[in-house]
Amino acid sequence: MRVKCIDCRYFDNRSEMIERTFPGLNSLSSAYSSVWAESGICSRHELFLSPWRRCEDFQECLIGIADT
Amino acid sequence: MSEKEIKPSPDYCETPKCAVSATQKPAAMGWKELYLKEDWWAIYVGFGIALLCLLAFLNGSTFAKSLAINPGGLKWTSDSFGKVVDHFSNNIGLYGIQFVFWLVIFSITTKIMRIKTSEFIPAFFILYILSILAFLIGGWQDAGRWMLEPPIAALLIGLVIANVFPFPKWMDSGFRVEYYIKTGIVLLGATFPINLVVSAGPVALFQATLISLTTCLTIYFVATKVFGLDKRLAAVIGTGGAVCGISGSMAIASAVGAKKEHLYTSVTLVVIWAIFMVFFIPFVSKMLNLHPGIAGAWVGTSEFADAAGFAAASAYGKMAGNEDAAIQGFTLMKVIGRDIWIGIWSFVFALIACLKWEKEECGVRPSAMEIWWRFPKFVLGFFLASLLMTIIAAGYSAVDFNKVFKPGVFGPIAGLRTWAFIFCFMSIGLTTRFKELKSAGAKPFISFTVGVLVNVTLGFILSVYVFGDYWMKLGK
Repeated sequence: MRVKCIDCRYFDNRSEMIERTFPGLNSLSSAYSSVWAESGICSRHELFLSPWRRCEDFQECLIGIADT
Repeated sequence: MSEKEIKPSPDYCETPKCAVSATQKPAAMGWKELYLKEDWWAIYVGFGIALLCLLAFLNGSTFAKSLAINPGGLKWTSDSFGKVVDHFSNNIGLYGIQFVFWLVIFSITTKIMRIKTSEFIPAFFILYILSILAFLIGGWQDAGRWMLEPPIAALLIGLVIANVFPFPKWMDSGFRVEYYIKTGIVLLGATFPINLVVSAGPVALFQATLISLTTCLTIYFVATKVFGLDKRLAAVIGTGGAVCGISGSMAIASAVGAKKEHLYTSVTLVVIWAIFMVFFIPFVSKMLNLHPGIAGAWVGTSEFADAAGFAAASAYGKMAGNEDAAIQGFTLMKVIGRDIWIGIWSFVFALIACLKWEKEECGVRPSAMEIWWRFPKFVLGFFLASLLMTIIAAGYSAVDFNKVFKPGVFGPIAGLRTWAFIFCFMSIGLTTRFKELKSAGAKPFISFTVGVLVNVTLGFILSVYVFGDYWMKLGK
């Protein structure tokens, strides 16, 4: 089972979303840069995190359930 | 926490909203980075353009040279404005081809990076027109006297538009500051002698390391010991001021698990101070009549972001009549001296956070691979382009190099690089909307400002007095 932040339902690292979240970010940086790696925002804890982190609130992102 | 203890809820995706979010969520990127990150595209585009210029030269074609046309060198006055009219009426076809050239390259590559083409194309059209305007202002006979060289003109035009009658937010899709500057840096590498990197690199690394450590520790100390701010916030703004601006802040923010607000604060502080420094350092350098190599090194030491720094260095270089020296000094200090350490800073802070600050919460020990994951890959393109072109140029005698190869190959590459830089400088202005920036708070602002003062002062002393003789040799 995958338990890292990158596989968690609360974690979002889409570049477009990140640039929208932080006004002014794209004026001197970019969420499409290598240095961003796969960092993203945890919506449960309102933290900005590396994708390899873990925590006790992990909830696996099960894609497709709502399609049914 | 062991993996066995994890019991994910099987029904969490009960809402359509959740499902939409989940299906859009990218999985681990892996090799996809090669086509989803702009660093790699900057390398591909930079190498492609350099190869085009080289092939055109070898085939005796003037296509690449024509493609690099801009009105920045017209030196027009109010009495001779007819020059401008003649220039555009004679070259309107070339400008059309040039626009299509850039549009095709950037719209296709950004589409692959999942940026909306329907937003990119109109935004890029506006960007191109405004860039011509910036070149035109820079081509005014008296532009230098008023500090209106093309980089500064582009930045000012963009800032005025963004803060007085801003374009819609969706147009930011075409104002890709970092993509344009990275493409320009790879093109810069193609005209940058590798022996200069080898000979000047150690000095740049030493100066950059000294300044980065001093600045970061100053901000961190003032923020935590004087104002009692959160260690994570202190680390985020400290590296923002010391390493690589917003990109540095972000890398460290994610490494230490910072709050979103910490990053808001850092973005605001870096943007405000970086924009101020674009004008301040060239202004002071001009007052002191600094050698452009020295001023470039100072900018590289004390500016916070690559894009803003190139604007300052390029503007002062043009004012001082030796843009190459200023650009070389800046590149050595910032790109080579400071940027390449971002992964190491990130890894070190991740270790500190996980092993000291939050032993119970981190969950997993950081990997040394963090250094590679966060390495600014476009720098590899810079090095490789520099190495390859130096090897190719070594096949020519000194006389042939200066008479034939340099104007035939380096000339068009430098011309197209100038365009990439202007797109970047204009984009900085167009995306800097001061009223959108979140409030940083007095304590973080003062902490950061103390770091800026230390950085600028120490950067000046190191660039002018300690290593001044060294930086003065650049651009020859």
